[in-house]
Amino acid sequence: MKSLVCLKQVPDTETQIKVNADGSGIVTDGIKYVINPYDEFSVEEALKLKEKFKAGEVVVLSIGPDRCVEAIRTALAMGADRGVHVCDEAVNNGDPFVMAQTLAAASGNIEYDIIFCGHRAIDDDFAETGAMLAELLKIPQITLVTKIEVSADKKTITCERDIEGGKETVESPLPCVVSSQKGLNEPRYASLPGIMKAKKKPVDKKTFADLGLTPDAKLVSKNFSMPGSRQAGQKFEGMEPQEVAKTVVQALRSEAKVI
Amino acid sequence: MTDKFVSIRNLRFLLHEVLNIENLTQFDHYSDHSRETFDLALDTAHKIARNLLLPSLQEMDKNQPTFEKGIVHVHPVVKEFIQECGKGGWIAANASYEADGQQLPFSVTTACHFIFGAANYSASVYPLLMYGAAHLIESFGSDQLKREFIPSIFSGKWQGTMALTEPQAGSSLGDIQTQAIPTDENHFLIKGQKIFISAGDHDAVENVVHLMLARIKGAPSGVKGVSLFVVPKKRRDESGNLSPNDVNVSALYHKLGYRGAPIVQLSMGENGDCHGYLVGDPNKGLSYMFQMMNEARLAVGVGAAAIASAAYYASLEYTKERRQGRRLFDKDPDSEPIRIIDHSDVRRMLLFQRSIVEGSLSLVLQCCLYSDMAGVTTGDQKSKFSLLLDLLTPAAKTYPSEMGVMSVSQGLQCLGGYGFCDEFPLEQFYRDIRIHPIHEGSTGIQGLDLLGRKVVMHDSKAFVLFLDEVCSTISVACEIPDLKPYAEKLQHEINALREVTYGLMMLASSGHNEDYLEDSTLYLELFGIIAVAWQWLKQGIAATKQLERKLSQSDQDFYIGKIMTMKYFFLYELIKTYGLIERLSEEDGLTANFDDKFFAD
Repeated sequence: MKSLVCLKQVPDTETQIKVNADGSGIVTDGIKYVINPYDEFSVEEALKLKEKFKAGEVVVLSIGPDRCVEAIRTALAMGADRGVHVCDEAVNNGDPFVMAQTLAAASGNIEYDIIFCGHRAIDDDFAETGAMLAELLKIPQITLVTKIEVSADKKTITCERDIEGGKETVESPLPCVVSSQKGLNEPRYASLPGIMKAKKKPVDKKTFADLGLTPDAKLVSKNFSMPGSRQAGQKFEGMEPQEVAKTVVQALRSEAKVI
Repeated sequence: MTDKFVSIRNLRFLLHEVLNIENLTQFDHYSDHSRETFDLALDTAHKIARNLLLPSLQEMDKNQPTFEKGIVHVHPVVKEFIQECGKGGWIAANASYEADGQQLPFSVTTACHFIFGAANYSASVYPLLMYGAAHLIESFGSDQLKREFIPSIFSGKWQGTMALTEPQAGSSLGDIQTQAIPTDENHFLIKGQKIFISAGDHDAVENVVHLMLARIKGAPSGVKGVSLFVVPKKRRDESGNLSPNDVNVSALYHKLGYRGAPIVQLSMGENGDCHGYLVGDPNKGLSYMFQMMNEARLAVGVGAAAIASAAYYASLEYTKERRQGRRLFDKDPDSEPIRIIDHSDVRRMLLFQRSIVEGSLSLVLQCCLYSDMAGVTTGDQKSKFSLLLDLLTPAAKTYPSEMGVMSVSQGLQCLGGYGFCDEFPLEQFYRDIRIHPIHEGSTGIQGLDLLGRKVVMHDSKAFVLFLDEVCSTISVACEIPDLKPYAEKLQHEINALREVTYGLMMLASSGHNEDYLEDSTLYLELFGIIAVAWQWLKQGIAATKQLERKLSQSDQDFYIGKIMTMKYFFLYELIKTYGLIERLSEEDGLTANFDDKFFAD
């Protein structure tokens, strides 16, 4: 079973994000980066499939600056076989379409039965790249996947996916793009032997030119802003209970406008 | 509140910029490693600590191990963690490739254990004991013992312990009475009692392997008659199945803190059927055991620093949020109250904690690096590193432990009344850390070890080497204008330490042994402060060097903060040596000659 795992490096959820002075992006100084948690589910699932079929390969594909190699190495330490790192100023901060374009081009030289994408990246939250990638590659996509079964002949995949209030089971021919949702699995930790082996596993570095592409962004990011600070609550004191209830109802109706 | 309990940034600074551990990769033994593998190990340890250990910190305190029908039950996360440690190679991390280890430097694995310990100290001790026990068998055991026990311990299936203390013999191990009776077969019959055995029995593993001190029947009295045995809870019967080995838990202790790890009393050979397997030669048990004990002492030091680290970050967070009072000269009662971190006394309490945590950690990691270097060098070099490690171990165990208690106390103080309540973790940290000045050789024992043994061994060679190490750091710091005044302060202290030490040795050589050692604990306190000041000066040098480069704002803040904390240590902590030096220069023998009848009322 051959899997291609698209992996994005994102700020750790514990990092306090600040918007930079001109609102053009976030302050990157001092940020700790990790593998996008949804992509970690993808790595785990790809490893499980390889283990189940007792054959195959798990290739990790990432786009971003030099630091992304840490995320690739972490995936290799979890057990992935090799990495492809597209590192190019022109594309490192690309919009979802540029990302999808790049992933599609980079996947051209890689054999796969299945492509994993995270359901979304926890930094920009677009949740678009996987769908565009499937479209560009002209293969099906199954979103929000929480369970995977691959047929013995590796021709079809059956997935359980989240839908409002329940689950849906769908089947698709392979290859296809699967986007991983929370609940798919519990990702393993890298092991120390895995860390040692990861060092020797190949990571192929590519530029946009290597892929023969020119970026064709559809979106332009105009401004970033932090959510407004919460207003202080109101206290109603020194009144009889009936009076308090009346005042609160009034406030909810006329000020908060929630009733 | 955030859940910050350690600074990975600081660990990287200590390992890479102060200790330059990457230099180890020049040696064959570590040549497969690189900064990248070290950092990935730290990051993975952090992830395990945050996701697996931290969520159970309070639960393991509130739901202590229970003892039912002869079995000790522990929190389910213990099993999960031990299995992760086995599967992930954490128990065998230091072991050689031949023994299925990863040949990671001790300095790196200790940094990882610092992370585990800061997240959940009780959980962190299980794999440490496993490694210590396996390493002891690996170092001194027969091939058969190695085959039988090491793989199961390394894989996390069997717990290892160190079983030394007995009801009548704790600090004084020469007085142990557990007996080993020789048989015609390949085992001895063990009979006796052991107390205070950490992880001495629990249901997260299939078997427990005690590395136990006992006395072979007819052996000389005292430490010269103590032998080391492997005594498993279950042994293999003829068909290869595990069956009981007549090792029984007679009690489970209820403790002040560190409640997630069971401490038990064991009874061996009640039915005359407890098999023990001799490790190495008879009567050499204590010297073998010292290998595990010395490793465990450094682990205690780093564990104390770890708990103090968690307490420091919890209190730091609180002081940034809690608003209380106004600036001393702000007379406007309607002005907005300030954050308590804005009060300089609170900043002092935070700096105190930081200087203790990061100074202690630095000293322990320095010892670990000496251990790593002793393992890969030969001849004079090897002997130098071994001597420095031996000398510094009592201080690296005691300073973090004793000062860690003070540090956590200050952390708790930062939270005021909330610090005393269990809604915040400080009260647990305060209880958890209190064991450290006690276990693995109490502070009193460490003082005697340092002054009575380590300082004088090999004609004070280790002590002289230590002075040389400190002086070479001082001479580097003297070249840096900002650090020079601090280097001079340390030089002054080192001179005083030398004088005090020689004064005490003169007392010993004139036959006043009791007077010589009566204040050995205070001597250890003095030695510890100076050793940590030396580590802070090293950190100051490394930070200054980094500040010469073009840095991001956060890096700049980090290094300036480092230098400020170094200055704090010198200006607030190092001066505490004055009283100690004065006391240690007296020869009145006050405590040695104080008759107990004067304690009557």
